Amino acid sequence: MEIEILGAGCAKCRATKKVITQVIQELQLDAEVVEVKDLEEIIDRGVVITPGVFVNGELKSTGRVPSKEDVAGWLSARSD
Amino acid sequence: MLREIVEAGVDTLLEYLSLHVLSCLVPAFFIAGAIAALLSKEVVLKYFGADAKKWLSYSVASCSGTILAVCSCTVLPMFAGVYKRGAGIGPATAFLYSGPAINLLAIVLTARVLGLSIGIARAISAVLMAVVIGMSMAALFERGEKTKAEKHAAPAMAMVDNTAEQRPGYITLLFFTLLVAILLVGASGLISWVTKLIALALMILLLALVVIRYYSKDEVREWGSETWWLTRRIFPLLLVGVFAIGLIGGIAALYAPSHDPQIAVGELMKPYFGTNSFFSCLLSSIVGAILYMPTLLEVPIVGNLFGFTTGQMAAGPALSLLLAGPSLSFPCMVVIWRTIGWKKASVYIVLVVFISTLVGMLYGGIVG
Repeated sequence: MEIEILGAGCAKCRATKKVITQVIQELQLDAEVVEVKDLEEIIDRGVVITPGVFVNGELKSTGRVPSKEDVAGWLSARSD
Repeated sequence: MLREIVEAGVDTLLEYLSLHVLSCLVPAFFIAGAIAALLSKEVVLKYFGADAKKWLSYSVASCSGTILAVCSCTVLPMFAGVYKRGAGIGPATAFLYSGPAINLLAIVLTARVLGLSIGIARAISAVLMAVVIGMSMAALFERGEKTKAEKHAAPAMAMVDNTAEQRPGYITLLFFTLLVAILLVGASGLISWVTKLIALALMILLLALVVIRYYSKDEVREWGSETWWLTRRIFPLLLVGVFAIGLIGGIAALYAPSHDPQIAVGELMKPYFGTNSFFSCLLSSIVGAILYMPTLLEVPIVGNLFGFTTGQMAAGPALSLLLAGPSLSFPCMVVIWRTIGWKKASVYIVLVVFISTLVGMLYGGIVG
């Protein structure tokens, strides 16, 4: 499972990474967190308000810090 | 001596921890949080596209600072994104300027601490300046832009599937109107205590009903979360900054003729900022453009540090600083330079500084 966090280093991006990493640890999931910081790529993928979160290539949220429940929801749905 | 300096710091700090300030900051944070959580930014960003009608783009760009971002750190990546997606240099720079210049919290605090007159002047000038700056940039640079826009097919905006029930537009309007009304009534000095409490109670009740009926639990949670996020990031820094400004006042009191920490720095600066002259306003704009000011800190800098509230700094340079300060700082200039190139960046910076100077002089001339 690949989780991408698209963001150029804003505070919300860092907070998002923290939440996602915590959830992965707590649920002991086999997932990789990738940070995409290149502005060109972020724009090409259509994210205008960072952070953008993609799980296995699917957009899950933009512009806000997801809650742990949100993240857990996305990740458990994918592991079927 | 050390004790006096620390006392000066504490005195200034207490000014900002007063009911006077908090009674308008607290509702303002809730409004800012609501805007961040509940207003769809994608809707606003559509107006930045290359094919949007020009006048609409500019109107939206000059006001959207309130909706899209609060501090310059958020504005810069958004500006880069919006520009690279094909928004003209005009609307993009209008937004770049207006973002930090007219953020709601800053306007509210300005009006509260520095006075209604300068607060309103700041808000109106910032919006108009954004349009003027944007259009000037477009006039100077757009010829090269048209061909660029053709090559850059803007990728579709990534949007999360929104399965939330559609809320009628008038409910959103009612919601925000109530929030703003609560802010204005709560902060107003013109209404008696009793009337205020009754009015506030009624409005809060009505607000609660609207929220329960039309907003989901998730949205309310998001609202609370955004409000707390903003408070956490902005308020402590404001307090620390205010305390530091007080300390500086205390230190300056050792050198200033009056030895009064409240006005010492302003006194020392008076030869530079005490009049509404071109020189004062220009100097003020340049200082504002270079200095980095965390969100909201421009208010105590103008009020306490440079002494606007005690009459040391004239209205003209004060407004100039408020207009040039938040949107620019030296690190910010570097990022802008990297995004749009040194030519455009230089023109943008010169425009901000120059127009801030002129607007300041104009305001100073009117208000005296």
